[in-house]
Amino acid sequence: MAASGAATPAIEAIDLVRTYQTHTGVLRRRPMTVEAVRGISFEVKPGELFGLLGPNGAGKTTTIKMLITLLLPTSGAARVMGFDVVHDTTAVRQRIGYVFGGDRGLYDRVSGIDNLRYFAELYGVEPSEQRRRIAALLELVGLTGRENEKVEGYSRGMRQRLHIARGLLHDPEVIFMDEPSIGLDPVGARELRQTVRSLVDAGKTVLLTTHYMFEADALCDRIAVINAGRIVALGSGADLKDAIAERTIVEIETFGVTDEAVERLRRDDDVSAVNMEERDQSQILLVQSERGAHITQRLLSLLGDTRVGKVVAREPTLEDAYVHLIATTGHDEARAARAASVQ
Amino acid sequence: MTALTAPPTRIAPNTLRAAWRVFWYGGRMSYGMLFNWARPSIYIPTLIGGPTFQLFFFAALGSYATDRSPAYFAIGNAVQVSALAGVFGMTMAIANERWFGTLPALLATPANRVAVFAGRFMPFIVNGLLVSLYAFGLGVVFLGVRLAPGSIAVAALALLVTVFSCTAIGALQGAISLRLRDGLFGANLVTMAILLFCGVNIPLHELPGWMQVVGNILPFTHGVEAVRQAADGAGFRQVGWLIGVEALVGIAYAVLAFALFVLLERSARRHATLDVR
Ligand SMILES: Nc1ncnc2c1ncn2[C@@H]1O[C@H](COP(=O)(O)OP(=O)(O)O)[C@@H](O)[C@H]1O
Ligand SMILES: [Mg+2]
Repeated sequence: MAASGAATPAIEAIDLVRTYQTHTGVLRRRPMTVEAVRGISFEVKPGELFGLLGPNGAGKTTTIKMLITLLLPTSGAARVMGFDVVHDTTAVRQRIGYVFGGDRGLYDRVSGIDNLRYFAELYGVEPSEQRRRIAALLELVGLTGRENEKVEGYSRGMRQRLHIARGLLHDPEVIFMDEPSIGLDPVGARELRQTVRSLVDAGKTVLLTTHYMFEADALCDRIAVINAGRIVALGSGADLKDAIAERTIVEIETFGVTDEAVERLRRDDDVSAVNMEERDQSQILLVQSERGAHITQRLLSLLGDTRVGKVVAREPTLEDAYVHLIATTGHDEARAARAASVQ
Repeated sequence: MTALTAPPTRIAPNTLRAAWRVFWYGGRMSYGMLFNWARPSIYIPTLIGGPTFQLFFFAALGSYATDRSPAYFAIGNAVQVSALAGVFGMTMAIANERWFGTLPALLATPANRVAVFAGRFMPFIVNGLLVSLYAFGLGVVFLGVRLAPGSIAVAALALLVTVFSCTAIGALQGAISLRLRDGLFGANLVTMAILLFCGVNIPLHELPGWMQVVGNILPFTHGVEAVRQAADGAGFRQVGWLIGVEALVGIAYAVLAFALFVLLERSARRHATLDVR
């Protein structure tokens, strides 16, 4: 029921900051401040599917928790459907659904349908309509027929689907999903993506977090890449790809490459980024360059006497864009990254 | 998305009707959701076997060691076993939210918190009453418990109020262990304290002074005294004030428990303390 659509953003984050006070050290405990979210701003339009993409510890969950009223921002502000997440908590909670990944957060000892019934009451779903609503949601998430079994016997995927059904009981306008595909098998993950898509097709606003590039790309209208508590890039999948479209990726398989050799590559003027993936026996070096494929010979000579296997030069993918963004935006390099970010 | 084309009507969260639904229907569900002992394999040994044993044990020991009748001990322990059910049940009903990791989902709902909290009392009060009635039945059949017929209603009221106040201290224990973990240790402590300080087996006036003070601020003490006097034929006129004091003690613990719960919710938002993930 957003008044006149475009006027009010569904979600609005304005310079959100959140720090945690913890302790370090086992014997001599010293207080420590963790800056989990360090000034995040974005807007999500009604009906948009917005992705927060980032590695573990980037600040995704912290951001979501602030938006769904479970955590107070240390500074900054946020609104959901125009309601302030700090002060208008009831108004926000009425309008949002919250789905989190993982297998906790359900009443294991009772059936799936009892879990839904309880939350239907908490969300004030009209009693005469609960049965129909719950049946429709069970159908939507594919749990029809299993609803009377105790949740403790559910598989991980079934639990995840129950989380989703629960988050949708009251037909929320805005749905927050924190790593909803975590622990799902590939088939389950694909079904989940279809469900999320269908929600957006039905006019819902969805904000989801993920650390899978391809998932963000396949689903989201816009993606905010978040690293070390800051947004380092914001745009559509295509926008993000454009940022490094000029580049070539040279994939070099090596066996026992030394740190010094990798460092030599990094220091080369024509190399923009080097990333390494460990395999069982080998390492894959992903070298980004703006020089085209003919740089390959030089790279190989820089590697010296390193044993080299397969070498491929190719166009960059979104994954490369992501890797590049994350690699270049470690803690205090965030400023440099923002300069490189796309809007 | 054919399945979801008809959105449900919703009751506004700040209305009395919404609060009533959460209290009454939501509350009833908390028994199965949160009570560890709900399944027969645990319920029968713990809440039927345990009380049976307790009743006969104290009746035998007490009447051997003192000149009081087995019935005296049977009444005290028949009321106390309801407290056991109430304290443990309610501790679990609050503290197990943490065990299941359901607190974030619960706190993200707009549901009225008083209704959520108060609703949880109901099944555990009913359960306490049932356990107690069973124990009374044993007392009547085997241990010579006799209730003056005209006082049964008053005794039942006293029992109800006693179970309520014991459930309230269970709620406080539950709220404490949302933060401190290990709630059942505290519940154990409370039920042992009731057994010792509250006139279950030893009349309050025979205890040292400091123990009487403790007994008077714990739930149970006034309630069990009311049940005893009613069993001896006292009417509401004589024991009404005892029931009233017991109710006030219970309300005080319930308010304290809820205040702590709200405080924890607030401090969790500020300090990220409830593992709200
Ligand atoms: N309750 C907490 N107390 C202290 N530090 C926390 C807490 N929750 C998260 N953090 C820290 O904050 C940072 C961001 O965490 P989080 O928001 O969970 O990231 P993400 O969801 O992107 O993996 C991490 O460094 C994490 O260790
Ligand atoms: Mg997370």
